[in-house]
Amino acid sequence: MKSQNLVLKIFLGLYLAIFFSYLLGPLIIMGVTAFNSPGFPRAAPWECLTFEWFEVLSNDKRIMTGLKNSLIVGSGTVILSVVLGLAGALMLTQIYPKLRATFYTIVIAPILIPGVVLGISTLVFWDRLNIMLGLSGDSFLHNGIFLTILGQSTFIASYCMLVFLARLQRFDMGLTEAALDLGATNVQAFRKVLVPFLMPAIASAAVLAFLASFENYNTTTFTFGKYPTLTIELAQKVRYGINPSISALAFTIVVLTIFAAVTHEVTQRRKQLALASGATVSAIRGDGFLLPGFLRSNPAAIVLLVLSVGAVATVGFASTYSPDSCKVVVREQKRALQQKQIEKIKQQRLQQQRDKATKGPDIFGADKSKVAPQSGFATKSPGVGAFGNVFAPTNLDKTQPKPESKTESPGKGAFGNVFAPTNLNETGPKKP
Amino acid sequence: MSRGVGVSLQDVWIKFGDFVAVREANVDIQGGAFFSFLGPSGCGKTTILRSVSGFLDPSQGKIIIGGNDMAGIGPNKRPTALIFQNLALFPLMKVWENIAFSLEVKGVGTAARRKRADELLDMIALTGQGDKLPSELSGGQKQRVAIARALCAEPDVLLLDEPLSALDLKLRQHMRTELREIQQRVGITFIYITHDQSEALTMSDHVAVMKAGVIDQISDGQTIYDDPSTPFVASFVGENNVFRGKVKSIDGDKALISTNRSGDLLSRIPLSAKGTLGVGDDAMMFIRPEALSIAKDDAAANNHVTALVLNEEFEGQTFNVFLEGDGGKEMKMSLVNQGKARESAKGSSLTLEYAPDQAIVLPAGELASE
Amino acid sequence: MNISAAFKRFFNRNGLGLGSFLLIAVGFWLIVLIILPQLSMLDFSFRHHLPPPEMGGPKDTYTLEHYKYLALGAQGADQSYNVVDLGVFVRTLVAAFFVTIFDLLLCYPLAYYLGQASGSGYTRILVLFLIIPYWVNEILRAFAFRIIFGDSGVINELLLAMGLVDNPVDFIRDNVALYSGLGYAYILLMIFPMYNVIESLDRNQIEAARDMGAPWWRIHWRIVIPYAKPGISSGCTMVFMLSAGALAAPQILGGPSSLWFTQIIYQWFNQGGNWPRGAAYAIVLLSVCILIVLSAMRLFKVRMGDIGK
Repeated sequence: MKSQNLVLKIFLGLYLAIFFSYLLGPLIIMGVTAFNSPGFPRAAPWECLTFEWFEVLSNDKRIMTGLKNSLIVGSGTVILSVVLGLAGALMLTQIYPKLRATFYTIVIAPILIPGVVLGISTLVFWDRLNIMLGLSGDSFLHNGIFLTILGQSTFIASYCMLVFLARLQRFDMGLTEAALDLGATNVQAFRKVLVPFLMPAIASAAVLAFLASFENYNTTTFTFGKYPTLTIELAQKVRYGINPSISALAFTIVVLTIFAAVTHEVTQRRKQLALASGATVSAIRGDGFLLPGFLRSNPAAIVLLVLSVGAVATVGFASTYSPDSCKVVVREQKRALQQKQIEKIKQQRLQQQRDKATKGPDIFGADKSKVAPQSGFATKSPGVGAFGNVFAPTNLDKTQPKPESKTESPGKGAFGNVFAPTNLNETGPKKP
Repeated sequence: MSRGVGVSLQDVWIKFGDFVAVREANVDIQGGAFFSFLGPSGCGKTTILRSVSGFLDPSQGKIIIGGNDMAGIGPNKRPTALIFQNLALFPLMKVWENIAFSLEVKGVGTAARRKRADELLDMIALTGQGDKLPSELSGGQKQRVAIARALCAEPDVLLLDEPLSALDLKLRQHMRTELREIQQRVGITFIYITHDQSEALTMSDHVAVMKAGVIDQISDGQTIYDDPSTPFVASFVGENNVFRGKVKSIDGDKALISTNRSGDLLSRIPLSAKGTLGVGDDAMMFIRPEALSIAKDDAAANNHVTALVLNEEFEGQTFNVFLEGDGGKEMKMSLVNQGKARESAKGSSLTLEYAPDQAIVLPAGELASE
Repeated sequence: MNISAAFKRFFNRNGLGLGSFLLIAVGFWLIVLIILPQLSMLDFSFRHHLPPPEMGGPKDTYTLEHYKYLALGAQGADQSYNVVDLGVFVRTLVAAFFVTIFDLLLCYPLAYYLGQASGSGYTRILVLFLIIPYWVNEILRAFAFRIIFGDSGVINELLLAMGLVDNPVDFIRDNVALYSGLGYAYILLMIFPMYNVIESLDRNQIEAARDMGAPWWRIHWRIVIPYAKPGISSGCTMVFMLSAGALAAPQILGGPSSLWFTQIIYQWFNQGGNWPRGAAYAIVLLSVCILIVLSAMRLFKVRMGDIGK
């Protein structure tokens, strides 16, 4: 029996390890690439610790505009979907039982309808309405922010409704009646009794709505018009050329997320502890003396503390650290290797051109332009990340003049000729 | 001193689709009275209460409070306050905020609200507990807060929907006295809903007994108990031994009933049955357990019943004897414990007697099913 | 039922202001956001592809041309069926199906473990770990997979360093990256419905079955899985619908030679400029997905009300 338990435990541990490395591994690797100096996001081989990608990120105007649009769309969607979801949930508690199933099916359907379809239908409907009303192409019905908020709210409101329904199930309708009986108007009863009860649900629905809106791509990609959101901008960048500033953005988001999640966990935990000890929340909060004990029994609080210290230390370190000396060393190594390899590569280039001809015209050049050259590098220059940089200048445009770009321009010429000019031109016009 | 106002229901019918929840209710409640609706669950008493408080409109008939027809007036505009079965205290508000809620919705300032709440807290003996949350109070305390909250609205009529049902026996008995005291102090009309007859009888000035949407009898507690007007009331309020039979003869306010199993028995005809009961009618005769005693002689008489002792149950001040009468009829007799040796040994046969004045006969009808 | 009486009761209960607000909000959501756009798209898919000035003109008649195009291809094409588009369509559905199965197999043990070991601080941390990746943008998650599976990605570097391969494996062309990314994207949607149901399963049932000598697989087959059916079907429905309708992951992780059906729709809208045809394709995707889900629900005897719990 005991050995069987042990086997079970080992299997369970193994399974959990695999599961969570699948879950968290990609994020960790992506985070690491944000601090590695090569222009193509990669974790290995490690070259130089750098914080420049964060700087690149903060100087990227399109990302920043996208962020602004995302925040506008997000706030609009939060308001609209929380209101609609709440109304839907309240309606569902009152509607005739016979109609209830039909109503539920209709309002829950947007969750299951592919986001692409929602985006298209929103676009088509308002566009045709616009034509029907004889309005011009720049009327508000065509406004990207307006359309995106409506399109996203269609299904995000369903999510919100589910959150409200779960909370409403525990609401005693007698409380509303009690308020009315004590002389409250319907609106007063709603505002003073039902809304405070729903407050936690409203908060979580709002967070959920904002996150869903912020990360939505499928619907937004059809409706954004002249106002690309952050997600749209990211998708453009990722599809047509990637660099570690995206990793830097992801890293920032992950850290903020962990921070928010852990803070949430800590406050939840604190409330639970307070309930368990029979005291009110304010008692524990006000009493500094209790805190050490509270820390001991709360791993999440320790994580929070470590995180905060780590964040402060990192920022402090980043403001003084300079990767320049490291980069010089790496550059010297690369230059030496390059000289040797350029000859070799030139020969292979002919070979590759012949290969490409046999493969035929490639419609999906956008993807290939990124994939194929790298494969070329990886084979020809094992262990040298430098060649990733070769492509950085083309991908990054002029946003970041780097010291490497000059030294490596011969390399760019050598390879870029093979694929880049034609393929990149093809992808270029696709960018809106 | 009574500032309570009268409530009357005039020919009130309440229907839900095809289901008739309340049928032709006519009730007159005097201002300042403690009035109870008593009946088994599902008899429509809560429906009546909800129509008085304004949560539903009668399908037909009028509800008049203090001389005003309440048709079309919402619950928040009526001079009533309801204490809910589960109390419905607002869980997220402090106790004092709960109590002063009716002032809050009127726009009364915080200081004035707090002052009034503290006065009421004093009254319900919860001084200084105003800053707690309802969840931090005990059952009886919550009960008192609910009462204070309702009184704070200064209603003319207080409606109570089985407010004691969630409490344990001891607390329930204590709260009965307390409720009655409060009612006498504030002097407003109380309308009380319960399925517990002893609650209704101990507290009320008048009781209406309901069965399946119909009010069977409205009277004071003593009359309900001693002179029930229907077999349902007789069997629902207090315990009763039932004898079925036919009226054999009538002599003044006495009738001789030829019962199916126990021979001819003499009984009093209550006022409500006078004139409606004729010779040869199907009848039901009721004798309370405490009206039975062990007969002094075994001779057959028309106030004697013979029975076999099945079991007994000692309850302290009384002991109950369960018997099997002729033809397998179950009976119960309650004897006051006088400390003497009991004569009702299990398995022995007994002759029981009763005073014919303490038995009543009614036209046959539906009994309360236990 | 008497409609005016129902309205009267509704307004009595909610008051005029709140009642009208509820009716307007729900009406707006139901009609303007959900029903009308879908109907409008359906209508649009039966119209000719016309420049805006001609819309509503004499040429604006109903037609089946877009559906015909999806089925038969361009007129005069050498094949009798539109092999390319139909092939992509079928491949999308099959791939979505396998992604669903993959997620189900991957997530069921964890959902069971979390549901039964409920409450401890340890499981709370695990749940936290589960949620964190889903607060990160969909695009960024796909991007992370691109970094990992790229030719100079971690896996290839590892394989090369270990000498297992001589040339980097093209995971992207082989769609390994796409399927892993899709599976990854919907783990949470699979795990939470199952977890919610399994959490409410009385542990005594499992112990009773074990007590009677049932092996672990029989316990799952006869007790846990039947009990968790609503959660399982809810999770599977959502994962299937969302992977079939995914756009970002295929765009970022898809191999150069494989398209996802949504990408074709996207092309009709954004590159081809033929909106009615895109709408027709979207209608086909939507109705086939709904059909599949409904028949699966019928097959496994699950009700619509179980979805989303």
